[in-house]
Amino acid sequence: MSDASTHHADVAIIGAGPAGMAAASRLAEAGQVPVVFDLAPSPGGQIYRQLTAPQLGEDVMGRDYLRGRRLLERFERARIDYRPGSRVWWAKREGQGTTLGVLADRRSESWQVRRLIIASGAMERGWPFPGWQLPGVMQAGAGQILLKQGALIPDVPPVLAGTGPLLYLLAWQYLRAGCPPRLILDAAPRSRYATMLRRPLSTWHGRHYLLKGLGMLTTLRRAGVKVVHGIEGLRAEGNPHLQAVHYRRAGRWQSVDASMLLTHFGVVPEPQLSRGLGLPFDWHPSQQAFVPHREEASLAAAPGIWLTGDGAGIGGALNAEREGHLAALSILAAKGEPVENERTPLVQARRRELSARALLEALFRVPDGWLAAQPETTLVCRCEAVSLGELDAAMAQGAAGPGQLKAFTRCGMGPCQGRLCGESVTRLLAGHLGTTMNAAGYYQVRPPLHSITLGELADSAAPPAP
Amino acid sequence: MFKRLDNAAPAAMVTIWLEGQPHSVPATLSAAAAVLWLVGATGYRDHAAGGHRAPLCMMGVCHDCLITIDGQPNRQGCLVPVAEGMRLERQRRPA
Amino acid sequence: MPQDFLIIGGGVVGMAVAYGLARRGRSVTVLDGHDDSLRASRGNAGLVWVQGKGLAMPRYAELSLHSSMAWPEFAEELTKRTGIDLEYEHCGGVDLCFDAKEAQARQTEYRALYAATPSLTAVRWEYLDREALREQLPGLGERVHGGTFSPHDGQCNPLYLLRALYAACLTLGVDYHPATPVTGIEASTTGFTAHSPQGSFSAERVILAAGLGARTLAPPLGLSGQVHPVRGQVLVTERFPPSGRLPTPQLRQTASGGYLIGDVLEDAGYDTGVTLETIHRLGQRAVQIYPELAQARLVRSWGALRVMTPDGSPLYEASRSCPGAYNLSCHSGITLAAFHARELAEAIDTDRLATIHGDFSGARFDVQATG
Repeated sequence: MSDASTHHADVAIIGAGPAGMAAASRLAEAGQVPVVFDLAPSPGGQIYRQLTAPQLGEDVMGRDYLRGRRLLERFERARIDYRPGSRVWWAKREGQGTTLGVLADRRSESWQVRRLIIASGAMERGWPFPGWQLPGVMQAGAGQILLKQGALIPDVPPVLAGTGPLLYLLAWQYLRAGCPPRLILDAAPRSRYATMLRRPLSTWHGRHYLLKGLGMLTTLRRAGVKVVHGIEGLRAEGNPHLQAVHYRRAGRWQSVDASMLLTHFGVVPEPQLSRGLGLPFDWHPSQQAFVPHREEASLAAAPGIWLTGDGAGIGGALNAEREGHLAALSILAAKGEPVENERTPLVQARRRELSARALLEALFRVPDGWLAAQPETTLVCRCEAVSLGELDAAMAQGAAGPGQLKAFTRCGMGPCQGRLCGESVTRLLAGHLGTTMNAAGYYQVRPPLHSITLGELADSAAPPAP
Repeated sequence: MFKRLDNAAPAAMVTIWLEGQPHSVPATLSAAAAVLWLVGATGYRDHAAGGHRAPLCMMGVCHDCLITIDGQPNRQGCLVPVAEGMRLERQRRPA
Repeated sequence: MPQDFLIIGGGVVGMAVAYGLARRGRSVTVLDGHDDSLRASRGNAGLVWVQGKGLAMPRYAELSLHSSMAWPEFAEELTKRTGIDLEYEHCGGVDLCFDAKEAQARQTEYRALYAATPSLTAVRWEYLDREALREQLPGLGERVHGGTFSPHDGQCNPLYLLRALYAACLTLGVDYHPATPVTGIEASTTGFTAHSPQGSFSAERVILAAGLGARTLAPPLGLSGQVHPVRGQVLVTERFPPSGRLPTPQLRQTASGGYLIGDVLEDAGYDTGVTLETIHRLGQRAVQIYPELAQARLVRSWGALRVMTPDGSPLYEASRSCPGAYNLSCHSGITLAAFHARELAEAIDTDRLATIHGDFSGARFDVQATG
């Protein structure tokens, strides 16, 4: 148990998406050698996945994907201790920094890092509806990952359902790839687009997003893709594979045959790492997500910990890149480098960009009453197959918090460790107790933050005795 | 279920074994993506509670892509890139 | 109409006694802490265990044996009332030894304990070496020396026990208040009033089942409240098909298929965290016990604080200065649940706790201190 088994780093960055790449590149340009841990085999994060060797061009993927190239090239040029395929399964604030347990090539190593930039990104919101566990139902992000990773498109026109920009982006990309969706089921009522008019400033700042969205919608409609607005309910059915999608609109259920349903109900910060470190979170009513606290100016969440990118609140890829850059500047400033001139335009650009978010959040708001309206057999926890009805029964028996509800039902005890059911559980408790999302609380997140086998754990370099 | 676009960039191919059968797949795919491309989502994995499951998120969150890779059960197929000679077995509940 | 009883603490001790009293027709209010309060009830391994308990106090060994014998009926009754399966198995269990020295020491201890009182001679146990154990524990690794087998041991799902107690209490009209942390208790001529930020609650009598909370709540009521935290850390793996292996304190397969790995005692104050060093060691030991578990993925880990009395045995006390106030502190709330729900509740209800179970009062610590 010698200290030799522990690696040391002055700056570690978790995640190699836009935020992590920007932070690492900027630090490297100042002569630092940050270590970057990333789950994926190549840099880019979800947004620029596979951009190191793109499978498809701008004609299918659109301009925003290829835009990441500059950042990627900068990252690849810089002198960085980049470690792809690394799972940070352990993180704990200790003394003057953070201890990390990092699993790579089936071996776990412990790292003592003085400064940690978390850039671990977002995930698609877990959003229960009957049949969402059926093969043939995937999240829209999964469809896009397959497109980026291997130019894979559905071999029959899929149904897309939900709300959010990704839904239309994927539909547009499928159309460009020659596989237009059979149907788009939009949970947002058409009237919501009138919201735009009530927020002129926000609309102005967000005009690029809006025009892009409008352009996609127009292209899809012209190509004959049917869009149904104002979906109130969704149901997937089939055995052993998806055969039909049912949707409710204006109180009436309708059906469509489908072998693939891609859903999207927004993205939320991936919480495990920040929560595992014990950082406080608050419910963000506009993002409809739990968002970690951080200092607005420095992006620091705790001494020696910076939170950047979509994992700290959804702001999109450009904002993530700026935040990574800003976190790097915070670190450089602490080391006495003059950064103010570089900081100011970044802060201003970021503020302009973020002022458009409120509008996007309002436009693509998920219906808050959705979960409570689902049939009681709907699975909330996919891993342990815990239904809404079972959770209702446990709450009626006195489960008054996420921990107790988990204990009573096994909800959140499976391999995904509550990532997909955490928000739902809080929503149910808030409803049942008549309280706020914050007061209802969230699971206590503990290691492993990523899966590790007992063998890997046992073989790992022994951590130092405290 | 999924097909590869004809105008995709040429990719290096690797041979993987799915339930003992060799298949040539683009080297850029994850193990889960390769299975979806080769045989689709049906029967991807048996779930302890009954029924089948298939990948939902493809980005390391849902754990419904669990698959046996080179003899190791319950690996997250979406996070492991395919490699030459990789052996994949979809997981079945013991009868 | 004032309630008969206030119970401070909604863990497995408080709820078992609440259930026992409600079953006897008493009106009971339970005041519970927050969801993230210290909760030993949600952090334990679920053993219904006899062997080795009460090494320091044969009466505790007797109580463990007695409660384990009452468990089958207790579990059945709770399931009948609530429909909740406690996953209880009266299957026997093995406490593993890793070398000859440990095996020798264990057997010496057991021989003395199970000859200490006439009723303890009924306890059956035997030491089995690794080869003999492989029948009950197939796949046992070479690093295990052997272990003590006892047919009295068993296992349950402690979380479902807790849930069933809640459900049963609910049907019996127990008034349960979550997120109502008690800050102080006042005695008056007509009974007791507990104060919390959520309001005040009164009853004729009050029972502390507040775990480590007894340290502050008990002394003002003339109760000793001598408890301290001892941390445990637990790992749980993904599910596997049932193996039929008997439970051990070091490791057991739960009914849902995951392996639960634990059995560490740490002095860490009130820190409920897990440590890299300990879970590394637990991982190593699990693989030593069943080498095939090297491939098992860790799904969860947690730390929890045992509620430990100075001698490790339960503390059941009735206040002399404030008649009607009781304190219950023990770290064996699962094994003793059947006893708590029956005899202990009855002893409190009939106000004969000091008479029947006087040797479990806090007075024993004073004797030790002066002796």
